[in-house]
Parts: sequence; structure tokens; C-alpha cells
Amino acid sequence: MKEQKGIQREGRLTLDFIDEMKQIPGGEQIALCIQCGTCSGSCPTSHLMTHTPRRLIAMTRAGMRKEVLESPDIWLCTSCYYCYVRCPRGIKVTDLMYAYKRLSARDKFGIQKRGYKLGKIFMSVVNKYGRNNELELLAKFFGFANPIGGIKNTFIGLGLFLKGRLPLKTHKIKDLGGFKKIVNKAEELARLP
Amino acid sequence: MTNPRIGVYVCHCGTNIAGKVKVTDVVEHAKKQPNVVLAKEYKFMCSEPGQAMIVEDIKKEKLDRIIVAACSPLMHEKTFRKALEKAGINKYLFQMANIREHCSWVHEDGAAATEKAKALVTGAIYRAQYVEALNDREAPMNPATLIVGGGIAGIQAALDIADSGRQVYLVEKEPSIGGHMAQFDKTFPTLDCAACILTPKMVSIGQHPNITLLSYSEVEKIDGYVGNFKVGVRMKARYVDPKKCNGCGDCWQKCPAWRVEKPKGDKKVVHNALTLGPTKAIYMPTLQSVPNVPVIDKKSCIYFKNGKCKICVKACQKDAINHEMTDVVMDIDVGNIIVTTGFKTFDVSKMPQYGYGKLPNVISSIEFERMNCSSGATGGQVLCQNGEAPKSIAILHCIGSRDKEHHEYCSRVCCMYALKFAHLVKEKTGAQVYDFYIDMRAAGKGYEEFYNRLLEEGVRFIRGKAASVTDYAVFPEEEGKLIVRCEDTLVGKVRRIPVDMVVLCSALEANADAPEFARLLKLCQGKEGWFTEKHPKLAPVSTASDGIYIAGCCQGPKDIPDTVAQASAAAAQVLTAIAKGKVQIEGVGAEIIEEKCTGCKICNDMCPYKAIEFDAVKHKSKVNDALCKACGTCVAACPCGAIKAKHFTDEQIMHEIEGVLYDAKL
Repeated sequence: MKEQKGIQREGRLTLDFIDEMKQIPGGEQIALCIQCGTCSGSCPTSHLMTHTPRRLIAMTRAGMRKEVLESPDIWLCTSCYYCYVRCPRGIKVTDLMYAYKRLSARDKFGIQKRGYKLGKIFMSVVNKYGRNNELELLAKFFGFANPIGGIKNTFIGLGLFLKGRLPLKTHKIKDLGGFKKIVNKAEELARLP
Repeated sequence: MTNPRIGVYVCHCGTNIAGKVKVTDVVEHAKKQPNVVLAKEYKFMCSEPGQAMIVEDIKKEKLDRIIVAACSPLMHEKTFRKALEKAGINKYLFQMANIREHCSWVHEDGAAATEKAKALVTGAIYRAQYVEALNDREAPMNPATLIVGGGIAGIQAALDIADSGRQVYLVEKEPSIGGHMAQFDKTFPTLDCAACILTPKMVSIGQHPNITLLSYSEVEKIDGYVGNFKVGVRMKARYVDPKKCNGCGDCWQKCPAWRVEKPKGDKKVVHNALTLGPTKAIYMPTLQSVPNVPVIDKKSCIYFKNGKCKICVKACQKDAINHEMTDVVMDIDVGNIIVTTGFKTFDVSKMPQYGYGKLPNVISSIEFERMNCSSGATGGQVLCQNGEAPKSIAILHCIGSRDKEHHEYCSRVCCMYALKFAHLVKEKTGAQVYDFYIDMRAAGKGYEEFYNRLLEEGVRFIRGKAASVTDYAVFPEEEGKLIVRCEDTLVGKVRRIPVDMVVLCSALEANADAPEFARLLKLCQGKEGWFTEKHPKLAPVSTASDGIYIAGCCQGPKDIPDTVAQASAAAAQVLTAIAKGKVQIEGVGAEIIEEKCTGCKICNDMCPYKAIEFDAVKHKSKVNDALCKACGTCVAACPCGAIKAKHFTDEQIMHEIEGVLYDAKL
């Protein structure tokens, strides 16, 4: 049995994963992929990924649900939309990445991932002011999720601060209540079953 | 005799020649040669102005020999010969020196290439002193056409020619026409029923007043030449008189012997018998056979084993069955021949890693086609050997194709028929379909769209050629299944996939008897056994033998639309030849000098075209100009040197050699 280690067993796959993805907003067109690699080639962060966007789609088709949703790579998407506009099959790859993220978050695959935490902290900051505060975001992110990274990046932070890119104070937007209503509605619409 | 007046033209061919050979040097060299009146260079001699220059010079300078140093005579000899005719001199006074294919294209050293070009041009000049004017001959064109092979290509070509009012003989070696297409159920990418589009054409063949259908027959010998072929066709004994038989089916219903038996015991479906049966000893190949006449399989018929039975004879009310029937050889005269002998599928048992023949439910593509066909043994149902529908099925591309061990080429149709299979399986059984491909080749009208459709239908495409099929279960979910092992190259994982059925998409290959047939018709075969066309791009249906054309898969793997297009193209070529009404035969050929001939007859048997007859009265041999192909065999064979090869006389050849070696230091 030892020699068979590392072989992808069909019994360990979730064969209907692709159908599940098709049900999620953003995942509808996943079956159309012809695996050309335009998305991975265009992606500015693909060199940091273990599984590129193209391979994530291939893994979805194969039924490797756990591997895909556990992957930190889905959190590396910066929403630059290069893949989205370049895909020859018109697949909305960025939307697909969001679909992966939502599914990963719902099923608690992603809560240990920094990407997930960054997203959560970002939304908490935005909910507080109605806009982002970079200093607070970075402080919370590095404080809660990545203390070593915070130390490593001290000098960059200092530089940004001296240029005035990390403001100490942020004004709340007018009608924060109205803004929160919008955010809540959006969350409700995107909520997964 | 006055001295000849020679004009030499050296072509640049853009940079094809001038890029390597110093054309000006060659021209200067040519000017110094004997009897050369003028030598010129030009960018493209084959162009309109290039030809006009030759015509003008012939008239002005009274030239009577023209030499063009340019490309291969295969390319432009005709062009320049026409220019000579236009200027009013005999076209055989033209000489071509090939300084492109034989020189500039194949040499790296420019200086040496220039020297070689000089030598070739000198050879042509020396030869030109001795060339003679010759006259072309004409032979009548027989308007009848022979078509060998009654698949879709042969059917299409036969109908095209017959519809123009010309006689067609269609020879098919099987008992019914239709070929491979008649065995299919659906055709990609439109999924229209093969029988629905083919049978009307098959019926038209049977009914057409201009088509003589010779089914269950084989071409045995071919003599003659374009316009006047004499063909011997062996009509194999089918033991049923087609004139009396009405195709009622009483005979095979009563027949007690099986040719291919029905499945017995546990086996509900015998996959490897699907292509043939089950049928009785007297059988009709398919329900839509044309001609609608059964045939007796001598091997399984009881009468041929022990001389008793004849139940079919009693059953037949039309008295059509005759066990004493023998083969008949028929001679037919035709002007042109179209070869549409098709292909056979690769024997997938040659790749033992897929377990064909050993593992149950590993089947070849043609068996799968038969299983899908509504007129097949399972009535169109996809079934495993135990009679149950498969829940999962693997379709393996490129079995025997793109493989140096078997066939290096891509069989072109497998990707598409695999997609068709995947669709049919989904439609009929709802099974999980795994499709293992190396590259998805969907180049054709509507083909990529068909692939997209299959993607949306949820077929599991796995990029990676399946490495092996086994029934050895390692994991519990694999018990009792066939396991396909492969690398999913898009995921980067090795996978083991358990399935109920494996379909091997076998390559298309040349027929086993193709070499024999090629010898019979003097056709050329490529490395892979396909018949070779005259030119891969510009003469795709002609062959090196005049009057013999090829179409369909005997030329190379292709799909039905391409086959039909090629068949119509071949028909058009034949009709063009028929419309001309005559065959032009080149003035080049052998001529026997009677004074020298001793009547030894050695040449008579030597001639591969049977063009030499013996005149018993004069006791001399004589060449039939219409049959002579100017091969030169007799010239070399004659012990008395009594045969002259017109346009290739000893004098011409020796002087050409002398010219080529003009600077040799002896």
C-alpha cells in the first residue's frame, strides 16, 4: 500500500464539487474553462501561489474540494481583474475567487488563513468609519494575525507614516447608518445556503 | 545543318536563387559557351514579363533553343514550354536547369553553389545542341470510370460522375456498400443520424441507371493507361442470385447455422462480436444493405462442411439460392479510376496495458459505435457484458495515434468521435464520463462549439493519456471495477479512477492489403501506408499515375465532410478529363530503329506497360506510342542498341554530362 501513497484516490474526492460551485454566484461558468492558463499568466500574485487560478479550476473539476478550499492561494487574489477581462471563455475568474473565499469561510476552511483575517479586519474598520483607516487596519492585522510580519515591515511602515500615508485620525462618513444598511444588504444577498 | 541559336535565361527567383548563387557570374559564364546567342538574368522568369521576354527574343534573335536556369521542371517546365509554343517553335526545344532545388536551396557555400549552377547550366547548353523537335500524340478517352471502394467517398464520387451521364463501375469488396459510415449511429458534431444521411445515397447507387454496382467483388488486374484502362474484376460467389432474390429474409430466419453466435450464459453482451453480428451463415450485412441481397458465409454454412442441409434453398420461394455458384471474372474498360478504399481501425490489443481482450468491458471504438447503433445487436443501448448499463465510463483518446511505437500521426477524428461517445453515454445512461486526452483537437466547422457543449454537459475531461487499465483493486471503492491510472497533468496528481467500462479510441490506419493494391495500380504509399497524392497541397486527389485519383481515408485519416469534399474533387477531376475527350501523350518515348532490331523479343517482356508488340511478318518489335511511358527500360535492355529514347538519346545525355563536367581536369 505504501507505493500508492500520494495517488489521488477517487473515493476521497467530492465529485459534485463542480456542481456546488456552479450554484454559487460567480461560479456558474466554471465548466466552460479550457485550461489555457491566461488567468494564471495574467495574475500578479500567481508566482506566490502553490495552486494558480487555472489549477484551482482543474482541481475543482477533479473534485478536490478540500485542497481547493484549504488553499491559501484563493486569499491571494488582489481583485485586479486582469484574469476577468482576459479570459477567452468569458469566465469571471475574480468572481470565482470570491466564490471560493465565501465557501471557504462558510465551511471554516479559511479562518486560520491570514487572507481571511485581513478581510475580516478590513470590514470591521470600514464598518466603523464608513471608509478605511490604513494605520488601524495594519495595526490590527499585524497585531492579531502576523506579529513577525509587522516587525519585518516596520521600516516600510515608518516611511509610509512620514509620507502621510498612514493617517492617525479618520473622519467617519456622513450617514454611517445608511452605509451599514448597504453593507448588511450586500452580505445578505451574498450569503451562502 | 546550321548551328543552333541558344538563349539562356537565369532566374533570381526573388532571393531564393540570387540569395546564394551569383546570378551575374552564371550569365557571364553562359555567354562564353558555344552557340549561345544571348544570356540574360531576370527576377522572376515565370512571371508574365519574364515569359514575354523569351517570346520576344525568340522572334527578334531567331533563337531555336531556350534554356531557363530556375526551379525544378516539375514546377515550371510547362509554363516555359507554352511560351515557346506561343513564339512558334517546338516545345521540346526547351531545356530547364534546376539551380534552386538542386543548388541554391541545398548548399550553404555561395561560391561553390555558383560553380555548381555554372556546371548545371553548361550541361543544359551542351545538351540543347542535340535536342530535336517532337510531336505530342493523342489517344481517345473512355468516358467510363471505375471506382474502387463503396464507402461514403466512393458513393459520393460515383453519384457525382453518374449524374453527369457517364458510366460508373463501383467495386466494393464487402457484400454491401456503405463502408464504415454505415456502421455508425450518429455523426459529429451535429449528431445527425449516419444512416439517415447515408442510406438515401446508397439507394441512389442501387437505382442509378449509369452505375453498375459490383458488390462482393475485388479488382484483380489493371492494364492500360489513362483513358484506356482494362480492368479485371473478380465477382466472388455469394451463392444468392441477385436477379432473383427479393431480400425477404426467409433464408436467414430458417438457417440453422450461426456465423457469429448470440451471447450465452452470464455474458449478455459480447462486445468483440458487435462489429460482425450476431448473424446466421446466410446473412444480410445490415438491414439497409445495398444491394439488398444476402450472402452465404462458406466457413459456417453446414452444406459446405458436409454436403447436406440446403434448408435455405427450400425456404427461398424465389429459387435464388445456388450453392454451386462460382467466382466470375469480368473485364471492364474505363478511362479513369478513383481509389476510395478507406481505412481500417488500429488493433487495440497491440497495446496490452489497456487490457483489451483480457479485461471484460474494455472495448474498441468501432465496437462502441456498433453498440450505439440502433440497428446493432444491443438495439442502441450502452451495456456492460452483464447486461447492465455502466454507471461510469472512461474514454481513452490516442490509442495507437501520436505514438512512435504504432502510428506517429494524429488520426484526426478520434477527439471528435470521443466527444460524440461522451455525449451519447450521457444521453443514454447518465453515467459519469471521464475523457482522457493529450490535446483536444477540435479543428473543424462547429467542432470547438461541440467541445464547449460537452464541457457544459459535465463530462470530466482529464488532460493526460491514460497509462493503464487494470482490475486490480487497491482501495475499497475500486472493488469489481476497471481502474484507469493516469496523470491529471492539469492538477499535477496521479489518479486512479474506477469505472465500469473503458472505450479505447483506436487510430485509423491503412488497409492491410494497401501495399498489394498499390502495386496493382502503381500507386505510391507514404511511410504510414496511406496512398500518396501527387502534391500535398496543390494536387491532393491526383496521383503519380495519370488517370488514377484517390479520395477519402485511403489518402490519410479524415472526417466525413472532408472525405465527401475530396470525393467530389476527384469526381470533378475525372469529369474534366472526360470532357477533354482525348488524352495528350507526350512526344517523349521509345522508338525502335528497325534496321538495328534483330527481333530477339527481349524488350517485349521487359516493358512494364506492355507497350511493345512483335511484328511477326517483319520479325521486328514495335512500340505502341499510346502505351509507352518513356521509362527507358527497353532502351537499356536492348542488346543491339536498337531502341532510341526520344528526348533522352545517348547523344543528348553524354553531351549533358560533358557539359556538367566542363571544368573537370582530366
